Amino acid sequence: MLTGSKTTFKVRQMPDIKERIMNQSGLHARGRDMFGLCCLPGECVLQRAVLVRKKLSPKEGGGWLSGTLFCTHFRVAFVPQDSPRPDDNADPVLLGDHDVALASIEKVVAVGPLRTKLVTPSSSLKFTPEELILYCRDLRVLCFLFDRLTPDTQAVEITYTIAKTYHPLKPGTILSFQNAALGSIEMKQFLSNRRRDSGMNWFESSGDWEQELERTGATGWRVSSVNDRFEMSTSLSRFNVVPQKVLDTELKKTFAHFNEGRIPRWVWRHPHGSDLLRMASFQNNIYHEKDDIRNLELILFGGQSQCIVVDLGDEMPSPADLQLAHTRLRTLCLGDISSSVSVPDDKWLSSLEGTHWLDYIRCCLRKAAEVACLLRRGHLTVVLQEPEDRDMNCVVSSLVQVMCDQHCRTVAGFQALVQKEWVVAGHRFLSRINYHRDSDKEEAPIFLLFLDCVWQLWAQFPARFQLTEDFLLALHDSLHLPLFSTFLANCQRERCRRSQNLPQSYTPVNGLRELPRGSVEEPVDPPYPPVWDWALQYSTQRRALFTQPVCQPSTPAPVLNGNFNTNLGPNWISDGVPGSVFLLSRSLFSCPSNLLPWRSGGGSVSYRKSHRRAPSSESLPALERLIKACGQPDPLQDIHDPHQPLIPLLLGPCVRIWRNCYLRGALHAQAFTHPMSSNARHPVERLASEVEHLRERLAQASVGRPPNRKRHEHRRLDSNLNQNTNNGTFLFSSSSSSSSSSSSSSSSSSSSSSRASQQESPSRFSARPPAAARYRDGGGKHTFLFGHQGEPQSSQRYAPCPGAKLPKNSGPSGAKTH
Amino acid sequence: MLSLGGGGAKSSKPSFVSYITPEEIKSEKEPPKKERHPNLLPGEVVFCSADPILKHTQDDVSQRGIFGTLLCTNFRVSFVSDETPLEETGSNLGDLISLQMLFCFVVYDEKRKMITGGMLKNKYPSKMIIHCKDLRVFQFCLTFTKEEDARKIFHGIAHHCLEPKSLKCVFAFSYAVSRSPEMQRSQRTVMFDSKEDWAQEMKRTKGNCRIVTENEGFKLSTRLPKYFIIPSSVTDEDLFKFQGKGLPIWCWSHHSGCALFKASTLPVPQEDGVIQRYMERMLDAAAQTHLYSLKIEDLSETLPTVQDIQQSYAKFKQFFLIDNSTDFWVSDVKWFSSVENTGWMDIIRKCLQKAVEVVECLEKENTNILIMEEEGTDLCCVISSLVQIMLDPHYRTLTGFQGLVQKEWVAGCHAFLDRCNHLCQKDKESPSPIFLLFLECVWQLVQQHSPAFQFSETYLTVLSDSVHVPVFSTFLFNSAYQRESTLKAESQHPQRGPLNCPAVWDWSVQFDCKAQELFLNPLYADKLKQDKVLRKVPRPKHQRQLSLPSSAFKTPPKKGFFKDETESLKKMLRVKRISRWMASPDSPAANTREFYEAWQRRPLDHHGLLLPWLDGPAVRLWMQRYLRWIPEVQILGGGPVAVTNKMAELLVQVQELRKKLDLKGCWQPEAERVQLQPRPLALARNSLRLSSAFPFASSRNWTFKPVIPTSLLQSLMLTDKLASQEDETTEVISLV
Repeated sequence: MLTGSKTTFKVRQMPDIKERIMNQSGLHARGRDMFGLCCLPGECVLQRAVLVRKKLSPKEGGGWLSGTLFCTHFRVAFVPQDSPRPDDNADPVLLGDHDVALASIEKVVAVGPLRTKLVTPSSSLKFTPEELILYCRDLRVLCFLFDRLTPDTQAVEITYTIAKTYHPLKPGTILSFQNAALGSIEMKQFLSNRRRDSGMNWFESSGDWEQELERTGATGWRVSSVNDRFEMSTSLSRFNVVPQKVLDTELKKTFAHFNEGRIPRWVWRHPHGSDLLRMASFQNNIYHEKDDIRNLELILFGGQSQCIVVDLGDEMPSPADLQLAHTRLRTLCLGDISSSVSVPDDKWLSSLEGTHWLDYIRCCLRKAAEVACLLRRGHLTVVLQEPEDRDMNCVVSSLVQVMCDQHCRTVAGFQALVQKEWVVAGHRFLSRINYHRDSDKEEAPIFLLFLDCVWQLWAQFPARFQLTEDFLLALHDSLHLPLFSTFLANCQRERCRRSQNLPQSYTPVNGLRELPRGSVEEPVDPPYPPVWDWALQYSTQRRALFTQPVCQPSTPAPVLNGNFNTNLGPNWISDGVPGSVFLLSRSLFSCPSNLLPWRSGGGSVSYRKSHRRAPSSESLPALERLIKACGQPDPLQDIHDPHQPLIPLLLGPCVRIWRNCYLRGALHAQAFTHPMSSNARHPVERLASEVEHLRERLAQASVGRPPNRKRHEHRRLDSNLNQNTNNGTFLFSSSSSSSSSSSSSSSSSSSSSSRASQQESPSRFSARPPAAARYRDGGGKHTFLFGHQGEPQSSQRYAPCPGAKLPKNSGPSGAKTH
Repeated sequence: MLSLGGGGAKSSKPSFVSYITPEEIKSEKEPPKKERHPNLLPGEVVFCSADPILKHTQDDVSQRGIFGTLLCTNFRVSFVSDETPLEETGSNLGDLISLQMLFCFVVYDEKRKMITGGMLKNKYPSKMIIHCKDLRVFQFCLTFTKEEDARKIFHGIAHHCLEPKSLKCVFAFSYAVSRSPEMQRSQRTVMFDSKEDWAQEMKRTKGNCRIVTENEGFKLSTRLPKYFIIPSSVTDEDLFKFQGKGLPIWCWSHHSGCALFKASTLPVPQEDGVIQRYMERMLDAAAQTHLYSLKIEDLSETLPTVQDIQQSYAKFKQFFLIDNSTDFWVSDVKWFSSVENTGWMDIIRKCLQKAVEVVECLEKENTNILIMEEEGTDLCCVISSLVQIMLDPHYRTLTGFQGLVQKEWVAGCHAFLDRCNHLCQKDKESPSPIFLLFLECVWQLVQQHSPAFQFSETYLTVLSDSVHVPVFSTFLFNSAYQRESTLKAESQHPQRGPLNCPAVWDWSVQFDCKAQELFLNPLYADKLKQDKVLRKVPRPKHQRQLSLPSSAFKTPPKKGFFKDETESLKKMLRVKRISRWMASPDSPAANTREFYEAWQRRPLDHHGLLLPWLDGPAVRLWMQRYLRWIPEVQILGGGPVAVTNKMAELLVQVQELRKKLDLKGCWQPEAERVQLQPRPLALARNSLRLSSAFPFASSRNWTFKPVIPTSLLQSLMLTDKLASQEDETTEVISLV
């Protein structure tokens, strides 16, 4: 494979060709060349350029970092000089902190003394580049500067090599990229030996779903394995949650009534007792049997008396709209290389408005907020309906849960949520992301829209999230890396098929071969890891930034039947006409007669007789009450109510642009930002880390002080420095003699409660790395600022601080600093 | 309970909470039905009252409201509700409308008319809509009142709020006269009304100019303060030549020795060259302080005019004066472009940009700067104050900032009276929110570099409101001369000295202690001494900056590709971006960019130079100020308050833990560490229901109304017309 792909690169014959391919041998798999690049097994360095400087983004601390630039089969790697020698025994990390995968590169631009040129695989350079600018699909812009002492041939050749090996818009190249990254035997072995994160729910077995039922306290539902072999619906998951009263045999008949067989499935229960379901549109409006209708009704209502169908079909943006908006947004934020008109600052806002991206975000958040408020009422099922149930249903359903369920705001919970609502539910990641460049019409950044919506929530309520912006950014960037099983399939069936090699008898007639593969003989796909295996992509230091300690009020355990919603009169439940259905569309309730097709014309005559229900007229009083209830203040509502949904402000100026994501590559934005100020984490995050750190010290101090007295000294110094370098944001006196009596009295109660929650927290946030790791970040900053190394190096910013409690193997740079 | 007059001692609740919502309005005691009064301030007199008046809550659908009495005093229009439970005492400046109306609309038969002074009809109005200068909107329904009462109150309000009046009628004078004299002004703020203050300031900044005392009796000019500072080489003869016009007045000295001056422009030069020679001497004098270099910046040429600013703001504020929520959602659809079209944000950006240019000259080129303007009291004040805030950490503290306003604006003779139009005079040139513009610019800085500022955004909002409260001597006069003469003339006891008007800095006049704590930024990073030494890290100098012309770095001809800029380059994005910087002749913008890059290479110091971000997305809307009264926007437990709240919790925890560590003896308090109290936030913690408009509007009976929109109700009423309605307005009306 390696040799094969190498020959496809028409590298111009240069004198130093031997040097270029110096590290190609598979035998030398874990080796590093003299410049400190830690290659993946089987990775092959194609070209190298020395004395290169990389422009650091404000997020990384700004300035320039000198080192060596490499181009391999898989990535463009930059190794800063004086970077610590990587540990040979460490697990391979796909991308270093300064690396970019070839597949993420969108454009390569060379800047010479006289001209600037967009370098394509077929173009030729007529000048020696001084700068190399890589525009990435994930909106980063990497800028490398060649020194005058860099050999001209190296500068030219590496530009060529990158231009020829980066992942151009051609079908098929993705496979060679995947093979370059994961194709080697060692890598395959390594990947197959990796254990899954057991701290999160993967929703792949029936036990996972049962666990979720138990977690949310849902009763009356069961996990059905009727679709275990994807016979009923090819795009649904193997296990679906349906009402207990419906038998599997009855269930089988209902699939035909829905588009792609996507029947109404339970996804979540609100603590107040409402259930959230999602389904595709109705199909095949022929209802012959009474039983058929009974089952449909049962599935739709669960155990509740009311059902509200939320129609997402017509008022949400279409995938094409989103794609257009996102393209415009990219152009606005990144600048289009081909156009020569830039947006002046005073027209920036209207240009932003013109992209409609923020409008679509508002639209999704608004819909989710409506649903979240409906669910609070209790005792109804809310069914999200979309023609295909594979796009906007995913967005809205998961947003509702992020708003209402604080578990979904932790990293583990959020990952489980994405598994449940996107991966297993059959969002067409492969077509929507369009990795293979073969589904241009289908391409739409729906998952990115969701991430942006979550970011908006995070930006408005950072204290309610355990996950941080860094995590969202990491997920955003991973989406552009076609290596993860999570995103490399359109539905669970494809994923299962690949990993288990299901017998052909289970594949549908129209086949699955949408991967156009160049080679005749079918290569074996490398085993794709899930994206949640963050250790593959990010170093421990980076991963430590994904979470912040959250002191949340302890959640009351879910009650068996859900909590009765006491603000409704008791007659609400008894009096409500059983089985009334409303449609929520465009923020209006209505009960159109054709909402449930079996209730209107056709086969519903007998049905109506037997149930003596006239759909619209009789249910009006219920509708009235529903509306009243939605307008009523909730007496139980309290700021400390953990179930209080996060209802975002959606006003024009409140929905903001995700600056750290979309504008991180934009030069005009960088021109003003001070690296240190934009580099700083959110104050809430920093304070939370500080609390954590102090707790740790307190625990340490109370356990065994005398023996390691010296160590305490050290730590104190360290932490002082640490505060200074944290932009001095939470510097205040330790001798809080003058702290007011009122604050101390109130604080003692709060701290005791938070301590209680802290005791609970390890179990709840088991995915959180130990605080020592997180703290290392601050300690590293100190080495960065005080510059014992002379050169600011962002890799060292993550270096451990010597005083902190550290795992054994994390040390070389930390030891160096003192 | 902005307890005016009570000295703030009485009331105990967090202050501004009660501003808007009728539910919160409390009257002192249950008086006999006729005599419902708010706590009157000393010197306040009720002119007329009407009862019952229906005050609408800002809910366009229900048209609900509360009944009460509407009073018009010589200070405010006040509404006292009939229904509120009376639990709290304390005078309530909260519900005042404070005679600071912008417009008063009157609805005659469903038609709305703007009322300006002098055009009162005798027709009986049914509804009165009041727009306040702090962007609140009140609606009163007069149909339940007796006709003559209604007419009386309406006339009274229109007369006292909208008719031109003389300075002597301003409430401050009756207030100050009858106020108990033991109150004194704030101690800590430097008022710049004595020679010592100026000397002290010059000593602090190490300026070497001379203090002019010749204007003590305002013989030199009435448009200059009593004391001011000019370059030492200006002769006494020159001093008196043009009544102070053209004099370079010292503002501030950079630590390098160069200084910032401001001046008013002289009349058009005559033939004889007297003025030219005078001007040359002045410039020479100014240049002498440091290296004989001086740059002149004529602000009237490069910045928008005062009229432009006024017009832009008038358009801008219309977006926030919302009569009903429908209007609001309509405007929300085109939010960004409409805000942008007013040009207000762009004016802010331009001011900041100009200030950056001046900062660059002082900081990088070390030249003296003379900023000029026709009067030298409008944009000069904005720019010079901004420059000082960016350069001098002293002005980022609360007292420092107040001193700066005193120095540049009050002593600098900004025409507050005319610009704010306290007297409602129409013949004067239109009121212009220059001071507000300055606060906006400061807010942008606070937003971008919050740890560098000791005061909070709430402080700025409150300050911007206080400008319109006609009680404070700070904002009431056009010049120092007018202030002194008026106060002397109005004094009841001439032998005891002039009238003692409170300055706005005496915050206890308006707020109690707890409320004042909200003025402080809990995360302010105070100066650390050890820091200073350690920060001097030699950063590696880079030989060449990315794609930018640089005089500081000698680039070899081979590498400096920008020197031969060709057409082909312009096609590329990056060049395009940069060409924006290089667009103007002799490319000052490129220099500015370079200046920014130099600043970025230094480690961030909250006590050093601060530069604002000026790109499109960075200049933001001051949401607290503009959106606080709009109920549709408020959200319980959301927005910045949620963050503040969380930070309060965490801060308290950090303190607790530190205390505990301290007890264990492994945490040593350090002397140079600054005391910072999380108390203001403790206040925030205590209120249960915080809406995003905290501390201005308390949360009302919060419903999820913004989420399930009002159109739901309509849908109920119009179920049969659903089909038609769906197509029309619902998208617009819907929700947050």
